[in-house]
Amino acid sequence: MPEISSYTVNFGPQHPAAHGVLRLVLEMDGEVVRRVDPHIGLLHRATEKLAETKPFNQSIGYMDRLDYVSMMCNEHAYVLAIEKLLGLEPPLRAQYIRVLFDELTRILNHLLWLGAHALDVGAMTVFLYCFAKREDLMDCYEAVSGTRMHATYYRPGGVYRDLPMRMPHYQPSPKRSQKDLERLNRARQGSMLDYIEHFAAEFPHCIDEYETLLTDNRIWKQRLVDVAVVDPERALQLGFTGPMLRGSGVEWDLRKKQPYAVYDQLAFDIPVGTNGDCYDRYLVRVEEMRQSVRLITQCVDWLRANPGPVMVADHKVAPPSREEMKDDMESLIHHFKLFTEGYCVPEGEAYAAVEAPKGEFGAYIVSDGANKPYRLKLRAPGFAHLAAMDEMSRGHMLADVVTIIGTLDVVFGEIDR
Amino acid sequence: MQAIRDLFNSFLLIELLQGLRLTGRHLFTRKYTVEYPEERAPQSPRFRGLHALRRYPNGEERCIACKLCEAVCPALAITIEAEPRADGTRRTTRYDIDLFKCIYCGFCEESCPVDSIVETRIYEYHFERRGENIIHKQELLALGDQYEQQLAKDRAADAPYR
Amino acid sequence: MAVAVEQLAGHIEQALDGRVSESQIHCGELTLVVKPAELMPVMRVLRDNEAFRFDQLIDITGVDYAAYGQDEWITEQASATGFSRGVDGFTTGRLGLTGIYGVHEIKSNTGRRFAAVYHLLSVALNQRVRVRAFCEDDNFPMLDSITSIWSCADWFEREAFDLFGIIFDGHPDLRRILTDYGFVGHPFRKDFPLIGNVEVRYDEDRQRVVYEPVSIAPRVLVPRVIRKDNRYADWVSEENRDDA
Repeated sequence: MPEISSYTVNFGPQHPAAHGVLRLVLEMDGEVVRRVDPHIGLLHRATEKLAETKPFNQSIGYMDRLDYVSMMCNEHAYVLAIEKLLGLEPPLRAQYIRVLFDELTRILNHLLWLGAHALDVGAMTVFLYCFAKREDLMDCYEAVSGTRMHATYYRPGGVYRDLPMRMPHYQPSPKRSQKDLERLNRARQGSMLDYIEHFAAEFPHCIDEYETLLTDNRIWKQRLVDVAVVDPERALQLGFTGPMLRGSGVEWDLRKKQPYAVYDQLAFDIPVGTNGDCYDRYLVRVEEMRQSVRLITQCVDWLRANPGPVMVADHKVAPPSREEMKDDMESLIHHFKLFTEGYCVPEGEAYAAVEAPKGEFGAYIVSDGANKPYRLKLRAPGFAHLAAMDEMSRGHMLADVVTIIGTLDVVFGEIDR
Repeated sequence: MQAIRDLFNSFLLIELLQGLRLTGRHLFTRKYTVEYPEERAPQSPRFRGLHALRRYPNGEERCIACKLCEAVCPALAITIEAEPRADGTRRTTRYDIDLFKCIYCGFCEESCPVDSIVETRIYEYHFERRGENIIHKQELLALGDQYEQQLAKDRAADAPYR
Repeated sequence: MAVAVEQLAGHIEQALDGRVSESQIHCGELTLVVKPAELMPVMRVLRDNEAFRFDQLIDITGVDYAAYGQDEWITEQASATGFSRGVDGFTTGRLGLTGIYGVHEIKSNTGRRFAAVYHLLSVALNQRVRVRAFCEDDNFPMLDSITSIWSCADWFEREAFDLFGIIFDGHPDLRRILTDYGFVGHPFRKDFPLIGNVEVRYDEDRQRVVYEPVSIAPRVLVPRVIRKDNRYADWVSEENRDDA
């Protein structure tokens, strides 16, 4: 009988650990992975081509749907690229709001990543705790933009609306006593900033809890330590950015090195790993959440002290306020012109990148002077990370493949675009 | 010394017991769960759900068929046809929204100069047959009539920010 | 930052004299244009030279310049009748409609149609550069693969091949990546219709998935308009001054 030395296993696209629609063709030698061939594109929607047929502003909503767990960061990159081409500087308050929401988004993303990663590796409880906390952040999204996920909140020249002065409350229901309702609404009495401050005050304790469950846990360590080690040189070669690069010990963070918005005026640290394995990347991301809380607190303090406009006054780019629009003929014309034709962006090309929770998310716009982008290219961090999947999982066991998918923090909205 | 302590901790399963204590504590805390549908998560006045067309207090429909919402819709979900009426005013004869295409970005509401097309707080609806996903003018107006009080309250609450 | 970019441009010009056919700074970003034949040596210098050390390839983008500058709305003169500013709606600038919608076919071979745009980042020196290489033959666009310089170019080149049909010579495994198995055409080319050519449906009689010509009608609500706007005059002239 001939000995079968290797065989091929199909992993996904309908696999709970495939984080969406990833299809892996694994070449196995017993339990050991010899080669991985990721098949992507099952969620390809041609967002970039669609954007070529729409005025600039209309594509903002589609940016949310790229990396659908770090929505506002994607919008930020796109909006920054347009602002670069227009030579537009949003008001300071808008920039602080953007930083505030970028950091809330980072926590939102890392919570989902942590929960899903732990669930994949076999720790069920963390997932539940993470999602309970995510709910608070979703409420912030909902209060400020009107939707829990796909916000469409950032605009070239600022943000759509100022932060609300009142958080929505839980309504009385037969299922809850009056006292219980008051407990639920306690943090919601004041403005949105109060609510976020309340969140920032108690969230570090929640991170402690997640760490109690995972960091020292022997099963967690056995599954993560020394899995998928990437040394710094290879990490650069493979185009890693964000926590993947920092986990390998390269101190690189766009927020510090090429600051955008107001990151240069805020204090925070960059966590860096040493071994470049899954466990280090886990530690880096957990520490990033703590740093985000620091940034959020600073933003809340500044925003509370400095009211002001959140949108540029240039009505060729930003619509006039509704009151102006209804009273003033010129404003009405601006309003109509802006919502039909949009604005023309001067000829040229620009690349703007933000430090999204997953890495460097960039938007490259080529404009030929029209009201629609000539070409839009979105640089998704997950794309480069997933490309390294083959190299990272060679020689590991099949069970480690799940850990590696988890540590890559892939979301198919942005990889397939 | 550290090595001895580590060995000790390892044998006594300290970190596992700490984890168990934490989950045990959570077992006796209040539940996070919101018992839908009896109770619901809070909704802000900015919420973007199903669409509706509003009327003026005198019963006249607000929409003047300027087609701004049609032009600004990123998903091309809105289709409008218009004609002058007998009294000389311009009104829509057809106002369809394809709810499968709609991405609930809120641009239609933002662009509407007369606050006619709005997004309500309704987020639970379903279709049973093909074609029901296209919602017509009469249904939109009926929704607007039904929820007018809430809609007016929400617009008023959000007016200072817009 | 602006000074640093100009310095970098100067250094690059020195180190690569003659190999860069064009170099420009716009919005504080440096763009180099190189000939396809020079791509590999230039990239190698950019990575290895101590003054540049572009150790990371951030992105590779294909661009199809076939419809560059085409619009569908007269903006320069007011029309005599007041309306009818719309111009030919069947250009590639519209939806890239081919076939039954009767687009003008792209025939001229300019050698400036397809380009690959590379974004490089130096983590060591904190600088960025953009390199653009035009393919010489529009009908068979081809460039050298740079997978031997940066490993992550692998997937980016596969993507550019898939979406634009640019062939990367020397690529180890040039397969489609984003589109469906068995997909025909290169969807991001300007002459590929936005609505696609075929649609997929499950046929209950034949018990399998069937491909049919698309049934949806194309719809454009906002025309493509190019305006040379005075608003940016200050900014543009400033830019020109910098260049001078």
